[in-house]
Amino acid sequence: MHKLIVNEWIKIFKRPGTFVMIGLLILGVIATGVLTKVYSNNKQTANHQWEQQVEQEIKQYQQQISELPATAVSVKKDLEKKVAIDQYRLDHKIPPAKEATGWTFIKDSSALISFAGLFTIIIAAGIVASEFSWGTVKLLLIRPIKRYKILLSKYMTVILFDLFMLAVLFVSAAIIGFSLFGTGDGNNVHLAYSNGNVVEQNMFLYLIKTYLLSSIDVIMITTMAFMISAVFRNSSMAIGLSIFLLFMGGTITSLISSRYDWAKYILFANTDLTQYFDGVPLVKEMTLGFSVFMLLIYFFVFQLLAFGVFTKRDVAA
Amino acid sequence: MSSPVVELKKVSKVIKGKKIIDDLSFAIEEGEVFGFLGPNGAGKTTTIRMMVGLMGITSGDILICGKSVEKEFEEAIRNIGGIVENPELYKFLTGYQNLMQYARMVKGVSKQKIEEVVEFVGLKDRIHDKVKTYSLGMRQRLGLAQSLLHDPKVMILDEPTNGLDPAGIREIRDHLKKLTKEKGMSVIVSSHLLSEMEMMCDRIAIIQNGKLIDIQKVHDEQESKQKYFFEVDMKNIAILKNRGISYEKVDNGIAIEMEKEEVPNMIQLLIEKGIRIFEVKPISKSLEDRFLEVTTQGEKLHA
Repeated sequence: MHKLIVNEWIKIFKRPGTFVMIGLLILGVIATGVLTKVYSNNKQTANHQWEQQVEQEIKQYQQQISELPATAVSVKKDLEKKVAIDQYRLDHKIPPAKEATGWTFIKDSSALISFAGLFTIIIAAGIVASEFSWGTVKLLLIRPIKRYKILLSKYMTVILFDLFMLAVLFVSAAIIGFSLFGTGDGNNVHLAYSNGNVVEQNMFLYLIKTYLLSSIDVIMITTMAFMISAVFRNSSMAIGLSIFLLFMGGTITSLISSRYDWAKYILFANTDLTQYFDGVPLVKEMTLGFSVFMLLIYFFVFQLLAFGVFTKRDVAA
Repeated sequence: MSSPVVELKKVSKVIKGKKIIDDLSFAIEEGEVFGFLGPNGAGKTTTIRMMVGLMGITSGDILICGKSVEKEFEEAIRNIGGIVENPELYKFLTGYQNLMQYARMVKGVSKQKIEEVVEFVGLKDRIHDKVKTYSLGMRQRLGLAQSLLHDPKVMILDEPTNGLDPAGIREIRDHLKKLTKEKGMSVIVSSHLLSEMEMMCDRIAIIQNGKLIDIQKVHDEQESKQKYFFEVDMKNIAILKNRGISYEKVDNGIAIEMEKEEVPNMIQLLIEKGIRIFEVKPISKSLEDRFLEVTTQGEKLHA
């Protein structure tokens, strides 16, 4: 099996397009870094007054909460979270990181995960469909290897590529973050809010977790792109549909969720697992278990379609 | 003789309710070049794709070295090397990298083996160039090389000469001959080019509309009896009948079936009887005649 993955890996990295993708990703990180550097210069504040500022913030938030209409549940919850975290800061004397540090930059760079996801989707959409459009699928499938193994190796290559892109993003964000903003004052603690409690977390672990959790939707959409690629042998369709859903899926789902409860069954309502660790769920009765279960269902449906069609298909033309 | 290398057992293929292949059965022996001939759309490519597992079999079974393509795919396909139509290779890789791709997919292909195969197909000078710079003939040779990496017992080639110039066709033919002679491989070739098949194959199966119409040996001369054409004066021809020799009348003469050894005797007899002989020649039907003969018969059946 690992030899098949080596094969796929070579096929990906012998094409110049792949390096363009990696280059663009790194360029994105550099651009974010430079922009953050330019803007953060204006916002420097003296650190010793932070307690007053935080108290002021809490008052502001509380006022906002009292003025909110009863329907704005999610906004209220978000504000409550901010109040809780600020209160925790006061109680434990942890000043907020006003200045950008390498750590916050890595966290901010997690916004680029969709960008990395975009490239992974392009790879996933092409990995099966291209073999058909190149005509190489004929020589690929007359090897003494069962078809499901070939497809599995392709899927695993896609996942590996996704992890690779994440690593590129993380490492380049770390390099650029620490070189532009330094490591901060050694205050490497992240304050997370869940179930009404504030918890301290190690920054590095928190970042790794954020990256992995944020890439769940990328992996799900990548799986979908892979499925479309295997079923319809059409890479442009796979790319188009998946990228549309990657960028619009979340928005559409939250629109629907403001009106209907069944929004919780939509894939994108469940892809963001950070909502359970560090925030407020989209629909009230959703739990982590529910989301994981829904994700697994979607995952297996995609895989069943991909493997079912690919292993049975007659290769003509 | 040993058990057949490839055996088709009542193979049928139905696509969208249409019977593409209908109850096909035949066997290919070790070391023979087996041709697969038929007009376009007869089902040659479908049959070959079923043999290599690219297409499913609706009913029946195909055995390769005794292993079923359907049930024991990996064991069966291990014995096959194939080119399906023009070999499409990864254009962004070099020839060598392409071969490495395929070498990784089978157990026990050494670097040495790859070099040997490259040498065999005569690509040594260009093997480290990108495939997109190759000519069609070179791609065909690289295609041949990838199918030889794992020393298969059977080579299956679908329309291997499509789009090649005469020199390229000849090259492929020479390679195939070498393979059967030196390595004892069996070769299955499909084509609609009769002359090609006649030069390459030991036996030819003719199929039409998905049905097997005939299997023929190509070199019939070895067979003892053959028809001879005698262009003769027809006046006293009845004498032959009295001597119990059966003949049939054709234009300007008669045709008699006999062994080669008997031909001088027959000529002598005719001369003795005062029958004037203008010409004597063996009637060897070209494959084309036979092909057209059987396929048009088939057409009539279907009309």
